[in-house]
Amino acid sequence: MTWTKLWVIAYRDLTRSRRRTFFTLLAVALGLALLIVLNGFIAGIVDDALQNSIRLQTGHVQIRAATFPDDKRSLQWKDLLDRPAALVAQAAAMPEVVTAAPVLWADTVLNTSQESVGLQLYGIDVASSLYDPIRTALVAGDFLAANDRSGILMGKRLADSLNLPLGATVNLVTIDANGQPQEARFVIRGLFDSGVLVYDEGTLFMPLEKAQAYTLVGDRASAVMLLLHDKESAERVAAALAAPGLQTLTWRDLNAFFIQTMDTAMSFYMFLDAIVMLIVAVIIANTLLMAVFERIREMGILAALGMKRRQIMQMMLFEASIIALAGIVVGVILGLLGVAFLTQNGFVMGEMAGVASTIPMSAVLYARFDPVTFAWLTLWTFIIALVASLYPAWFAAHLEPVEALHTN
Amino acid sequence: MSIIELSDISKSYRIGEVETRAVDGVSLNIEAGEFTALVGPSGSGKTTLLQIIGCLDKPDRGAVLINGQDVTRLNANRRADLRRDVIGFIFQFFALVPVLDAYENVELPLLLSGVGAKERKERTLELLDAVGLADRIHHRPDQLSGGQQQRVAIARALVKRPLMVLADEPTANLDTANGEQAMEIMQRLNAQTGTAFIFATHDPRVMSFARRTVRMLDGRIVADELNP
Repeated sequence: MTWTKLWVIAYRDLTRSRRRTFFTLLAVALGLALLIVLNGFIAGIVDDALQNSIRLQTGHVQIRAATFPDDKRSLQWKDLLDRPAALVAQAAAMPEVVTAAPVLWADTVLNTSQESVGLQLYGIDVASSLYDPIRTALVAGDFLAANDRSGILMGKRLADSLNLPLGATVNLVTIDANGQPQEARFVIRGLFDSGVLVYDEGTLFMPLEKAQAYTLVGDRASAVMLLLHDKESAERVAAALAAPGLQTLTWRDLNAFFIQTMDTAMSFYMFLDAIVMLIVAVIIANTLLMAVFERIREMGILAALGMKRRQIMQMMLFEASIIALAGIVVGVILGLLGVAFLTQNGFVMGEMAGVASTIPMSAVLYARFDPVTFAWLTLWTFIIALVASLYPAWFAAHLEPVEALHTN
Repeated sequence: MSIIELSDISKSYRIGEVETRAVDGVSLNIEAGEFTALVGPSGSGKTTLLQIIGCLDKPDRGAVLINGQDVTRLNANRRADLRRDVIGFIFQFFALVPVLDAYENVELPLLLSGVGAKERKERTLELLDAVGLADRIHHRPDQLSGGQQQRVAIARALVKRPLMVLADEPTANLDTANGEQAMEIMQRLNAQTGTAFIFATHDPRVMSFARRTVRMLDGRIVADELNP
């Protein structure tokens, strides 16, 4: 028997109970659309957070003193780079490197008349393109000048929460390289809104020279940060810059906790994907089983005419394929439309973005087109649909003709 | 030459705790081209015997030879092949595939047998014409009357030019006129094609068409006579 005829019979069988077929198709479509949107959104979140972390916090490669601790921002001289300018020059000469700049990190406490807030202080090379994201995120005031001895940049959200206007003077206290408290007053020169809550609410910038003077570290720096043309070359660059007394860390090392967290989250999302697919499978199996139960006598007729078990199975699998393919087409369209919407408009996380303090999520999250993942989801949905239809098809094919013929 | 040889066939069914012997030690030969009625009251075993002959069911005991081949030893696929190639079925409830039109229903056995498109079309149209449904070929079963559906079933049973057609109560759901018309068509095609027809029936109208009547009672053959 030609496959064409089996397809025709399968298709026409599906039109018998159009409402049931429609709702099954809809379940497949919505299930797949949900998976595509969910996975596109998650891919967007992961990308966003990783990009934010690299762009605003870690860079692609960092050079630190070998003794610089992982768990705190030490200002002790032994933990700092004593010739950061030379390292910057060495790194900048490499073709893979877009820019390199020294940075000094310190913990500080900002005091107002109302409250005190613990913050991260970044002493930065204000001329470096490494800080272009902050430069473009300025929403009020001016970016820092290298010779500014009293200016700082503050996140607008932090300023708003502390009722501090542009130009306000604030008091900062930090523990210097000698372990002594240092207190100074600074003027808010500019307000930035990077869109990353943990950053906008917890970071201050000042010129590197001022930060070095303020913390009494001389011309030392906590690290030299590098931005690369291609983040995949990070290991190569790090290896080339490795030297005794230094540690060179790639973005993978620096975001290890984040990457591990995301891997764990992805496992959970894969579990969710499996649940959605399982629901789709159950619906398809149920629909086909109902279709078989309604047509038991017909199966007996086909068997009496000489249709083999294999052919009856094929016919039922074709029915499942038609539902699955139609559902997949609709699901892919709906899913891609959903991803396109979230790519353009994003999803406003608001304060939720700051919940995970270790994950630099933007306040507005955007989905990302991830064709490979979408293709896998589509393929898996089709496979699951076919697997789910195996039992009903097997059941139909193994009905005893004589019993089937006498079923009302 | 016998196309069907049944030797000491028995078949029992168990319904709950009760075992019912539907066919009890039946032996019977059917020759090519016969037009035979298996008659008897409900429960006499005629339908079960027809199902055993049609390879839809297996006997508990005895041998069933079709064209000299013992079909009780065949697996499900080989029995499906046999049904496809040498046996045509006509059922009381017409048994058409509802999603196929008259043409497609008649064509179906030829598709299963792998007959080429040109020959399929010729034979399908020829049989539909022979049963008087040339003008209804694209009607689906629900657009045909009971009599017309049974005529489609007759055409479907004969289109593959089988050795035999097994008809289970073919007139039971037809009125007198349609029942007689169906029987006349089968009688004519029997004469034209040489295909053997075996009917399970308790309809006197069918018996009057048969050239041989095999009477069954309580699973046994109690009479086997040629009609004048």
